Amino acid sequence: MGGSELLQFVISGLKNGSIYALVSLGFTIVYASTGVINFAQGEFYMLGGMFSVWAFATFGLPLWLAAIVGILLTAATGILFELLAIRPRKDGDQLSLIIITIGGSLLLSSLARHLFGPDELAIPAFTSGPSVRVFGAAIERQTLWIWGLTITAVVILNWVYNKTKLGRALRACAINRDAARLVGVDTRLIVTVSFALAAALGGLAGLSVAPLTQTAFDAGARVGVKGFAAAILGGLGNPIAAVAGGLMLGLIESMSIAYLSSTYKDAISLLVLLLVLFVRPQGLFSRSRREKV
Amino acid sequence: MFRRTRTLISIACVIALTLTGCASSDSGSDANSSSSDEAYRIGAILSLSGTYAGLGTPERNAIELEMARINDEGGVHGRPVEVLFEDDGTDEAKAQAAVTLLIEKEDVLAIIGATETGQSMAVRSDIERAGIPQVSMAGGNVITDEFNEWVFQTPWPNRLVVPFTLAYLKDQGVTRIALISDSGGYGKDGRQVTLDFADEYGMEIVADETYNRGDADMTAQLTKIKGAEADVVFMWSAGSEAATILKNWIDLWGGGPLRFNGDSSSDQLVAGAPLIIGAPGNARLELAQGAGDAAEGFEFAAGRILMLEAYSDCVGSLGVAEDFTTRYTDAYGDASDIFAGHAYDAFNIIVEAMKRLPEEFSSADLRDEIEKTADFVGVGGTFTFTEQDHNGLSENDIVMYRIDGGVWTLVGGD
Repeated sequence: MGGSELLQFVISGLKNGSIYALVSLGFTIVYASTGVINFAQGEFYMLGGMFSVWAFATFGLPLWLAAIVGILLTAATGILFELLAIRPRKDGDQLSLIIITIGGSLLLSSLARHLFGPDELAIPAFTSGPSVRVFGAAIERQTLWIWGLTITAVVILNWVYNKTKLGRALRACAINRDAARLVGVDTRLIVTVSFALAAALGGLAGLSVAPLTQTAFDAGARVGVKGFAAAILGGLGNPIAAVAGGLMLGLIESMSIAYLSSTYKDAISLLVLLLVLFVRPQGLFSRSRREKV
Repeated sequence: MFRRTRTLISIACVIALTLTGCASSDSGSDANSSSSDEAYRIGAILSLSGTYAGLGTPERNAIELEMARINDEGGVHGRPVEVLFEDDGTDEAKAQAAVTLLIEKEDVLAIIGATETGQSMAVRSDIERAGIPQVSMAGGNVITDEFNEWVFQTPWPNRLVVPFTLAYLKDQGVTRIALISDSGGYGKDGRQVTLDFADEYGMEIVADETYNRGDADMTAQLTKIKGAEADVVFMWSAGSEAATILKNWIDLWGGGPLRFNGDSSSDQLVAGAPLIIGAPGNARLELAQGAGDAAEGFEFAAGRILMLEAYSDCVGSLGVAEDFTTRYTDAYGDASDIFAGHAYDAFNIIVEAMKRLPEEFSSADLRDEIEKTADFVGVGGTFTFTEQDHNGLSENDIVMYRIDGGVWTLVGGD
């Protein structure tokens, strides 16, 4: 295999990987503040694309504005979802909350089907033009956008987490919710904020991928599973680890296509995931946290 | 530590079950049983949600349109025809549940469906056990190739599409083809039939890649195909992934349009990308819209209904298609597509058979009568079933299309 082909496989892996990374960030943010795995995360991805297409095609907004509208509407959906479905059951055990998110995921995709129809919808690329050539490998312009937006999102998120009051509250919640409440953190607000953030990130992923794949009401479920796998692979609860997990998952898939078989790429990545769970249950990039009993 | 692992694994299992098993059931059956005393009841299993919802929806529209027309014209033997719709969610388990419901509870005389090959095959054991005729609208070869006396099929099966396409490619001097196929029913079937026929047409399969539904990027598979130096890529995909494949392919080559490798008749100096050729499953406007410029030059074989001009030499079908597409567009605003056509054919083949029977008949009588269908002029072509052939179409019913300027054009039609 030539160098440029190998580079092409790496690029393809990193492209899928950064999509998984954005979705897995959403899992991680909600998990950190609530301890719940939000299985509706994939639907935020779907809604981001759908809302943007809707704003772009139905209202004729310019693409950048449609993208912002898409992210804001998705974040609003995340807030509504938390207020209506999660908050009333806040004191329920985690399992019932997880089931609620699964139900919410089915509800959101059915609603999207009724609102936007069963067909896939298209949105143009952010910048048109032929792909960029790097050492004989091709990079689609939209892929550069996806990478740029992923990096921007991670940098902003990192800044929020480490430098702002909100970030300190989010981290305090992640470490110990009761203690955070005792020192005056409004934990209910923090949970709502984390759902909004997670939805916005999912929406961002969905709308930046939509020009490549089109989008449809059922696009969320599979991406959700991949993002969940990426979050587990990296280590739940740690944003940087989630991004690393996403990129790794994308690379594993792309390398299995290159050297093994495209038919088994999902099986191979699932196998890697299970191995990681057995050997390092805390994830590849998370420090081991001893659970106190 | 292990408890956490176990929890995560069990959560993973739960989500897997959720995704495959329990999407909402959309029972379209509103009828109460008292009105069924006189109506002839037919069950329809369609993919109204899930990956193939874009195919199932025009199918339901077509059946509803035809049901209304036939009932307005007085029905069959003076009794109305009632179609009970069930959604299979593009899921084989749900298709099985739907067929059981339709047979056991609704007591239907015949089943139309399913939309896709996998679901059509999934209901077979129930169809056979209950002795109910089934007319499928899916293009999979296995449906009528793995012959069953109860099962009929209205689209052109892949054993017609593949030789037609390969013969066309052979005429253009193609010898090396690469395959990229959906790992689901339609793609698997098309891939297998292509592998079976390749030798006969002197084709060498130089790459054989698959993808899963929902994959966001096929660049890795296409990089392998590019490295294999194929003349043409044969794509088996009926979903939205087809547009992604086209875009990834053009980007990999640094620009389009698609063209035959070494095509000397082309006066374009820029290289372009080797042709991707598709199948009837690509006959959806969403493909041209979704892929945009990347779809320029894309070719696929399909029935004549996409363009009325394609009926040039078959006058009977033209009339039927013209009438149907006009009424369909009037009723729904959209142009009818090949899937609506398959549903038209399936429903009318059953209704015509019922008209030929006396007023009281059994499902077994209906099966025998459907098998006697001869020279039925439908939208997809002219159907003549025999005891060995439950599809009844021929290669004459297929033509080659090319996407040119974002719209379908006939290849060699001018």
